[in-house]
Amino acid sequence: MLGRADNSLTSSFLSGVGKTMAATDEVYLGYTTDEATTPFLRDFLDALAEGTLMKSVCTECGREYLPPREHCQDDLSKCELEEFEEREAKLYSYTIVDFAPETLSSKAPYVVGIGEFPSGLRLTAHITNLMSVPEIGMDMKLAFDEVDERLVTYKWLV
Amino acid sequence: MQSSSLRLPSLMCRNLDIRKMRFSMMARKVGVVAAGHAKFGKRLDATMRELSAEAYKPIYDAGITQDMIDATVLSYAASQFSGQGAGSALIADYLGLHEKPHLRVESACTTGTASLRAAWGMVSAGLYDTMLVLGVEQMNRVSSAKATEYMSQAGDMRWEYPYGISFPAFYALMASRYMAEYDLPHEVLSKISVKSHHYGAQNPYAHLPRTVTVEEAHNSVPITRPLNLYDCSLISDGAAAIVIAAEEKAKEFTDEPMWIKGIGAGASSMMIQDRESLTSIPGAKSAAKAAYDMAGVGPEDIDMAQVHDCFTIAELIAYEDLGFAEPGKGRELIENKEVYHDGSIPVNCDGGLKSKGHPLGATGVSMVYEIYSQMRGEAREPSRQIDDVQIGLAHNVGQSGQFVNVFILERGW
Repeated sequence: MLGRADNSLTSSFLSGVGKTMAATDEVYLGYTTDEATTPFLRDFLDALAEGTLMKSVCTECGREYLPPREHCQDDLSKCELEEFEEREAKLYSYTIVDFAPETLSSKAPYVVGIGEFPSGLRLTAHITNLMSVPEIGMDMKLAFDEVDERLVTYKWLV
Repeated sequence: MQSSSLRLPSLMCRNLDIRKMRFSMMARKVGVVAAGHAKFGKRLDATMRELSAEAYKPIYDAGITQDMIDATVLSYAASQFSGQGAGSALIADYLGLHEKPHLRVESACTTGTASLRAAWGMVSAGLYDTMLVLGVEQMNRVSSAKATEYMSQAGDMRWEYPYGISFPAFYALMASRYMAEYDLPHEVLSKISVKSHHYGAQNPYAHLPRTVTVEEAHNSVPITRPLNLYDCSLISDGAAAIVIAAEEKAKEFTDEPMWIKGIGAGASSMMIQDRESLTSIPGAKSAAKAAYDMAGVGPEDIDMAQVHDCFTIAELIAYEDLGFAEPGKGRELIENKEVYHDGSIPVNCDGGLKSKGHPLGATGVSMVYEIYSQMRGEAREPSRQIDDVQIGLAHNVGQSGQFVNVFILERGW
C-alpha cells in the first residue's frame, strides 16, 4: 500500500534530537525547543556534535540505557555516559509518516524506525535512504548527519 | 525511612477499635443512575462549555438537578486546544453547579474513565453520595496538523517528539510489528473500520455517520503507513456525562442502576521502543485482569464491550488483551462477525472512536454511556440493539498504552 512513487522516501532532512540542540529560546506552545537542557544532556549533545553516540550506565547496578537517562529506573542511582559503539541493528518496527504533526509537515513523508542492536538496546530515529517500503528484521546501520558544525543528529541507513 | 506513626504505639492502641472497624468496612457499592451525551462532530457552533451543557441537560431533564449533586469531576485532556486552563471551574459555573466541589483529572485519552475512577473512589469511600462525571473536548478550532502536533506532545518530548512521531505513528509502529509477526493483511484492519462505520451510521451522536466498503477503507490515503485514513479515529468535539451514586442513594434516583462491578487500571512504558512486544499493550492486560478479578467474572461473561479503537489495530489488539481471542487470533472475531451486535462478543456497536468520534476527554464517559443505553434497551435503532446485556466492559487506553482503565458494569435490575 505504498500509494506513492518509491523515490519519495529518499528525502533527507534535519531531524531528531538535533532539534533540541538549537541554542535558541524559541518558545513553541509553551515549550522551548531547547528543552531545559541539563548538564548531563548537554554532555550527551556535545558528544553527539563530535559524532559520538553515548549510552548511560548505572553506577550502582550497571544497567544500560539508550537513549541515556541520568537516573537508573531500577534504583534511581546516577548513571554515567559511556560511548556506545554498536552500529549494526535490525529493524524492529517502522512507520512511514505521510501526515505529520505541524512542525514537521514540510518534511513528510518521513520514515520512523526502531532499531534493535545485538546487545538488545534499541533506538528510535529516522530512516533516511529508503528506496522502497522497509521490511521488519532488515539490516540497518546507525549513521550521523552533520547539519552544521554544532548540530549533529543520528539516523538509520539501510 | 521510618514512619512516624510507628513511634506512637499508645495512640495506635487507643484507635485500634476504630481502625479495625474502618478496615472491615467494605467500600460502598456505586452505580450509574443517569447519563447524557452531546452530539459528537466538528462542532463549530459550540465550545467546551456549551458541549458540557448539552451532555448534562438530559440528566437534568431526568430530574437530577444541580442541588442533588454533591461534587463533580469535570475533565478535558488537553488545554492547548481551547487555551482554557483549570477549566473545571468554568464548566461547573456554566452548568450552574454553584459552590459544588469540582476538579479536573487528566490522563490523555483515558481522561474520561480516570475521572470516573476518581469519583468512584470518593463515593465508595463515603466522602460524597452523588457525583457528576463529565468529559469534554473541543479539538476542531485548530487545523488537523496542529491537533496532530498537540497529540504528539504526549510522546516523550526529548526522545520521540523531535522525530515527528504522531499519535497515529505510535500505533503504526504497533501495526507494522503485528502485521509482520502474525502475517496480517491490511484488509482485516479495513473490516474493523467497515464495522465501526456500519454502526456509526446508525448512531445519532456520531461524528461521521456513514458507511464505508472494505475497498474504500483499504485504498484510502495513507496517514502513517501501514495505517491509512480509514484506520484512524476522528478529531472530534463532544462531551458525555454520567451521574454515579452510592447504593442507597442510587435507589432513590432509579429502579435501574448500572453497578460498577470491577475497575482495573494499568500502565505501559513511556517510550514505545522500550516495550518487549508491540503486538499487545501490557497495561491493558493488567488492567483487564484487575477488573475481571474485582468483578469476579471472565471474558466469557461479557455481553458487550466498548474498546478503545483509536486505530483499527488498537481494536484488534484489544480483542486479544481483553481475552476475547488468543494472541494473533483476534482477526477471526472480525472475519466471522463475532464482534457485530448479534455476534458472540459485540464490540463498539455505537461506531467506536472511528465513526462516533474521539473527543479525547469525552471518550471514556461516552463508552459508559453506551453500555448504560444498551443495558436499558435504549440503543434507539433495533439494528444495533444488543440483546439482553447483563455485563458490559469498557476498555479505555491513553496515549499508546501508558494509561489504561477497564471498567466492568453490571445491570442492577
